[in-house]
Amino acid sequence: MKKFKLSKQAKIDLTGYAFILPNIIGVCLFTLIPMIFSLIISFTDWDYTQGIGNWNFVGIKNFIEMWQDEWFTSSLINTIVFAVGVVPVTVFLALILAVVIDKYCFAKLPIRLALFMPYISNVVAVAIVWVMMYSPWGPFTQLVKALGVENPPQWLGSTTWALPALMLMTVWSGVGYANMIYTSALQGLPGDVYEAADIDGANEITKFFKLTVPFLSPTTFFLIITTFITSFQIFAPIQIMTRGGPGTSTNVLVYYIYTSAFTFYRMGYASAMSWILFIILFGITMFQWYGQKKWVSY
Amino acid sequence: MKKMKRFASLGMAAIMTMSALAGCQSAPKETQPASAEGGSTTATTEAAAPETKKETGGEPVVLRMWGGVPAEAGPQEACDNFNELYKDKGIQVEYERFVNDDTGNLKLETNLLSGTGVDLYMTYTPSVLTKRAEGNMALDLTELIERDGFELTQYFGSMAESFYINGLPYSIPTKLDQYGIVLNKDMFDAAGIEVPTEWTYDEFREIAKKLTHGEGQDKVYGMFWNSQQDLCYLFDYLVAQTNGGDPLYVSETESSFADPVVLKSVELLNNMMNVDKTSPTHTDSVTQKLSQEGMFLTGKSAMTVGPWMVRSIKDTANYPHDFMTAFAPYPVVEEGQRNFTQGGYGDHLCINPKSQNVDAAWEFAKWYATEGMLPVVAGGRVPASNTYEASEVTEAFVKGAEEYLDLESTQRVLITPADNYAVPSITKRIAEVKKVAVEELETIFIGQQSVEEGMAKAKTRADEILNKE
Repeated sequence: MKKFKLSKQAKIDLTGYAFILPNIIGVCLFTLIPMIFSLIISFTDWDYTQGIGNWNFVGIKNFIEMWQDEWFTSSLINTIVFAVGVVPVTVFLALILAVVIDKYCFAKLPIRLALFMPYISNVVAVAIVWVMMYSPWGPFTQLVKALGVENPPQWLGSTTWALPALMLMTVWSGVGYANMIYTSALQGLPGDVYEAADIDGANEITKFFKLTVPFLSPTTFFLIITTFITSFQIFAPIQIMTRGGPGTSTNVLVYYIYTSAFTFYRMGYASAMSWILFIILFGITMFQWYGQKKWVSY
Repeated sequence: MKKMKRFASLGMAAIMTMSALAGCQSAPKETQPASAEGGSTTATTEAAAPETKKETGGEPVVLRMWGGVPAEAGPQEACDNFNELYKDKGIQVEYERFVNDDTGNLKLETNLLSGTGVDLYMTYTPSVLTKRAEGNMALDLTELIERDGFELTQYFGSMAESFYINGLPYSIPTKLDQYGIVLNKDMFDAAGIEVPTEWTYDEFREIAKKLTHGEGQDKVYGMFWNSQQDLCYLFDYLVAQTNGGDPLYVSETESSFADPVVLKSVELLNNMMNVDKTSPTHTDSVTQKLSQEGMFLTGKSAMTVGPWMVRSIKDTANYPHDFMTAFAPYPVVEEGQRNFTQGGYGDHLCINPKSQNVDAAWEFAKWYATEGMLPVVAGGRVPASNTYEASEVTEAFVKGAEEYLDLESTQRVLITPADNYAVPSITKRIAEVKKVAVEELETIFIGQQSVEEGMAKAKTRADEILNKE
């Protein structure tokens, strides 16, 4: 009889597992196993056209080689510049917009919707439209010309401006999402604290910095981590708009990993770089996680 | 209430299962190209798949042939002809189009490596052919050739041997590629310039200057280099004529980027783009996504690289134009430097070693190379086999476009075979060497470094890559 009593809990557990089973299988097949596989081949010189098993273990050679590889180091720098540029601007802009729209705007919903549209639009379509926007007949060049600049920058055709141009586009398409998260967080702010501040004679600016920003800090923390990760993984716009060019100016890490794997056929090397990317992202996230104690108030 | 709950959970379960099923269904479809052209054949191919498994029992063998040319540009008609001829012999063929770019080739290779989804396929460049031969994705044809006495040299001359990999035939070359400058004959006539049969870089540059006129949006350029598509054209088409089939290399361990012919060619492009302004700059090409169709066929440039755009020239429905197109060989550095003809064999027809119908595939390959190609000639592909008459080929080539294609220069530049083709032999780390070249060339053409600086950098970087063990 004791046996049956035990199996009651087991039964509940089993039901639970049965429900998550389809998902677990999916995760194993399409995430876990490939991840382990990529870890293994990162220690090999595998050229994937040679078929599975046709590889030599080369130890940590791949991990050493990449630091002497100009393509790797320059793409890493580009990625860091990209992320460091995109993340603060996106998050800050979203915060300002959320507060301003919440307080001072008519027709809040359509405005939020308009901001959110780029986020749910197809990346490919967005990228192609932006290519036209950056063309010499596009609004950016015309605007700069109207401001009296003789030789307007060639945006995507210039080694200096291509990366900032991509960053601007990414901010534009990411700000709607961050704005929405902020907006929903704003709804939960305690009104009595603001009333007290009003009575004490605090103006709007003081209230924003002393109340709103600290109240929203957990949201900011969440957004910084997620936007950081997504901007480290930027790929589609690069593939469509610049293919890493001109020169190496927009060659980012994920794009170089793709190039090594599918143009150079160096799957082992590409896997090694992917793991380095993972370690970098993991490191940054952990750092932020510990750093949050200093500025996030729950 | 309880009932409701149970009903709801049942519904949820049903939805979940259904979505799982949908997931299963869509997975195999992804291996088929869903391009507009390939779309219509997808269904039939899938239906035909199980049939090929059983070769006996009177069921015809259905071969699956993959190529990069849209089905309606000839391959479908060729396959239909074959199906008509072989319907009593129990072999049928289905054509499937893959897009011949990185992604499309990856899709094809994934199919080849993972199983029997493809019986025959086209490989378009020698470096990829090497990769596939060495990677067990292409069948060694030696035995079949010996069995049937189908000596490749008998049909394709000794150049066929240049496309052997490690001394073994892994493909039948089917297409003869002879490249040249595509030019707007009406503009040449108006400027009083004869269609050139021989010219140097300097003469070419002068002619481009004469053909350039206008300003801003109405400007007509002498030349359009199509540089946003591929900057290595420069090596493959200009340098190869003087230096031979390995324009990127001096040897296995040294790149050619310090070679005087290479430097002269880079200078030519740079001068035309940035000094003479007789060609859209690389920046223009990239930022405006210029295309050959958009430039040449709309009369915005008098010349462009070619002749792969014959397909579009003949497609007057999509690209309406009213001028005559003629062809000229690529210019050479200096007189007497034309050591090689720019051209070679393309469309290497390979058989998948994992195919269960190797014999049938071989039958089709032989037929296609020696008899079946006329429908694809109309799409601009000249057959490599000597079993076709030159006049018959020219006729098929200009068919339907007699008013748009100059017969004489078409036959002379594109169809009449030469005997001194530039044949590639070195492919070592070619993707990486090309990437280096493209990056430095881009920086040169947008004016951020000089030709000498850039090519010196390219040489250092490429040599370093070539000398890595």
